[in-house]
Amino acid sequence: MSRNTGYLKLYGVGLKVGMANIMAYRGDFFINFFIMLMAELFAPIITFLIYRSGAAFPGWTLEEVMMIQGVFLLSKGIGYVFFFGLVDNTLFMVREGTFDLLLIKPRPVLFMSLVSGINVGDLGSIFSGLGVFILAATYLSGTTLMQWLLFLALFVMSLTVMLAFSIIMGSTVIKWVGNGRVYEIFEAISSFGLYPKSIYGKAFANIISFIIPLSIIGFIPAAVLLGRPVTGIWISVIVSILFLILSTRIWKMMMKYYTSAGG
Amino acid sequence: MIIDTRNLKKTYITYERGTTFGATIKSLFVRKPIEIEALKGIYLSIEKGEIIGLIGPNGAGKSTTLKILSGILHPTSGEADVMGFTPWKQRKKYVANIGAVFGQKSQLIWDIPPMDSFQMNKAIYNIPEEAFTTRLNALVEMLDLSRLIHKPTRQLSLGERMKCEFVMAMLHDPPIVFLDEPTIGLDVIAKEVIRKFIKEMNAKGTTFILTTHDLDDIELLANRVVVINHGSIVFDDSLTNLMGKLGHKKIVKVILSQAYAGTTLKSGLEYEKNSELELEFTLDTSQMSLKAFMDHIAGELEIKDISIESEDIETVIKELYLI
Repeated sequence: MSRNTGYLKLYGVGLKVGMANIMAYRGDFFINFFIMLMAELFAPIITFLIYRSGAAFPGWTLEEVMMIQGVFLLSKGIGYVFFFGLVDNTLFMVREGTFDLLLIKPRPVLFMSLVSGINVGDLGSIFSGLGVFILAATYLSGTTLMQWLLFLALFVMSLTVMLAFSIIMGSTVIKWVGNGRVYEIFEAISSFGLYPKSIYGKAFANIISFIIPLSIIGFIPAAVLLGRPVTGIWISVIVSILFLILSTRIWKMMMKYYTSAGG
Repeated sequence: MIIDTRNLKKTYITYERGTTFGATIKSLFVRKPIEIEALKGIYLSIEKGEIIGLIGPNGAGKSTTLKILSGILHPTSGEADVMGFTPWKQRKKYVANIGAVFGQKSQLIWDIPPMDSFQMNKAIYNIPEEAFTTRLNALVEMLDLSRLIHKPTRQLSLGERMKCEFVMAMLHDPPIVFLDEPTIGLDVIAKEVIRKFIKEMNAKGTTFILTTHDLDDIELLANRVVVINHGSIVFDDSLTNLMGKLGHKKIVKVILSQAYAGTTLKSGLEYEKNSELELEFTLDTSQMSLKAFMDHIAGELEIKDISIESEDIETVIKELYLI
């Protein structure tokens, strides 16, 4: 078995175990599913109410903004299920001292932390993102295959950024083990990606495109699908890849601070 | 030699903080760092097939040694060669060849059956299907787990869970297994099963390094005892030699046929009167031989019955901890 097939297989088993784990409490699963579904729809509902009251984001129709938010929420939903468990998992395991158990496995600790952090309980957030995305997609017209392919490639980059964020947050809790509010920082920062980039000033728009790649989470892939002109796509792609590389470097650096818990 | 460590040292920094409100506020801005020397130079050589009992008081450095040897922690300095690997430098390759059971940290997933956790380990260690099935069946049979591995872990007793932890640790057939307090909290029967299992696996060639506070584990399992105290090895030999080195004291219980008035025994002989007709001596054989003692009391006391016991292992170990 090749090395990569081994990793894929392990990820598959991790997913299966994550499903079995969450299904052990079916009632909790359905309640959690419903809560996540509703909670993630908050921003699109607010946007809808803004447009209904006659206000608007200049130059953007309601359907177009919904597309940006649908892509953003879909990416975030996938991130919640597949990546963000890493943060809770690391926080919990480092505090309890059970992080040691990941270190005695013959796999990269980061990968093990991701696999053991798969959180199918947040599946509702994928559905809310998917719902908004499909609704907005029904208004698309004349979208070419090339646009869809480019969208898919950029959506992968969007997920790359989500993964990078989760690794950075997970890294911080290795050293600052009581840092349970790290999510709030992410929520606050990432919410800038929910809206069209053109509503921000040029300097800020550049920051969220080329320094902290928030635009690529929702705006850039959605704009490509909508056929709207976007500048600096490839720079954003490169920045996203660099962001992921940076996150893994931060993880490695923080791992050096790991001291285990007393025996 | 399967494990060889040279001058392993581990130092870490902790911060001192007072308990008053003022001290708590002050600690937000200024903290006094304290350097802790967890290990002060550990030299340890272990042969293949040994069962080593690593003991010592809390905070002595046992778990730190175990964590360094299992690739979890980096030492501050020193060298280690375990099966040709340096654990902290070649962690991924190295840990594929070891197993570990932590009595206070479970590898099992709480809400699902142990079988799912075993499947997870199969994927982690890339164990081929056939080898996995053969090995799992053998372990399940040895530990009598067939009825339990499909029940959710949370419904198992501590003893049953511990047996499953051993299956998790042994599925990939590691030549070395590290055990950190594997019998903690278990009842007598569960301890017996676990000890029997360790002995059986050891007979098949597995090397075990065991830390424990249960001295019965040491007495019943370990070929060799390594005592760590204050970050250094203070004893490294067989349990028999440990008892020989420190177990100078004998507990002699004497049942009298006539009460002892209490004036003629040699001064310096320690004894307690359990009753009018029962005396309990604690004899230090480094001060007075057993023969001389027996001759002496036979002349002074009306002895009806007598029993002689060696000092128990716990007392001997306690003496070593206090050195």
